[in-house]
Amino acid sequence: MSFDEFQNRSRLYVIGALEPEELDEFEGARKTFGQKAEAFIRECYTLHEAFALSLRPAKSSAALKNRLMAMVREKKER
Amino acid sequence: MSGNLESSAPLETEEERLPAIAPVLPPGAPSDLDLMRAIQAEDPEGLSQLYDRYNGIVKALILRVIHNETEADDLLQEIFMEIWNQAKNFSAHKGKPLGWMVTLARRRAIDGLRKKQAYARAEERLQSQTEQQPDAWVHNATEVEIALGDTRVLIREVIDSLPPAQQEAIELAFFRGMSQREIAANTNTPLGTVKTRLELGLKKIYDGLKELRDEL
Repeated sequence: MSFDEFQNRSRLYVIGALEPEELDEFEGARKTFGQKAEAFIRECYTLHEAFALSLRPAKSSAALKNRLMAMVREKKER
Repeated sequence: MSGNLESSAPLETEEERLPAIAPVLPPGAPSDLDLMRAIQAEDPEGLSQLYDRYNGIVKALILRVIHNETEADDLLQEIFMEIWNQAKNFSAHKGKPLGWMVTLARRRAIDGLRKKQAYARAEERLQSQTEQQPDAWVHNATEVEIALGDTRVLIREVIDSLPPAQQEAIELAFFRGMSQREIAANTNTPLGTVKTRLELGLKKIYDGLKELRDEL
């Protein structure tokens, strides 16, 4: 697999869209390309951030945050 | 909080080497990484500030997957609790806090969707939810929200520049967790075409984001 093809597959990989039969080949290429591959995969995860940031934020109630923080403080005190 | 977030020195150089898409924060605001470090030190105020900064984005992501307000609120609480519990597993060397949170939230939301086998119901609700969402987002925007809004507009421009078929394939893969085969079956499209749409669409977005990073 060329590095260009690996880049295409990496973008599919980070969104979980590689088919099972493609994963073995991808993992093999990942080992072959080593650090260069890992660095590129890390970059691809910015797609996750971008898709999330493309959404209009949704509102939540203050009560929800209060419940969350109460749970956190309770857990910390345990 | 421990009181050292705003005055803390830069903590990691690794994060700065990674591509940045996150919104520009108000001057003096602690970085996401500062907040993650506070959470790792079991400072609840770190989680409180991270929640204030990103709960809207995380909830929007959950809603995009499961299309149910009550379930989204439950999941939002669970996800931020998981962020608190799993913060020790976060490493700035592997990525940015927002990416880590989004990856975690997406996985939880898609797992929830699969467990409930709610695909059909989600399909029915998608349209009405999409229509209701803008009206539901009516309140005084904070500086962070305004910055998020600017970022959203820029990212949407990149995504909206894609042909609709590519947008649809990416939407189904990312927000519904569908495999290529599932997308092919769902859209009555040959598997090879789905693969091509995903590859081309994701490459265009990736390249567009690179240009965007240069502009931001």
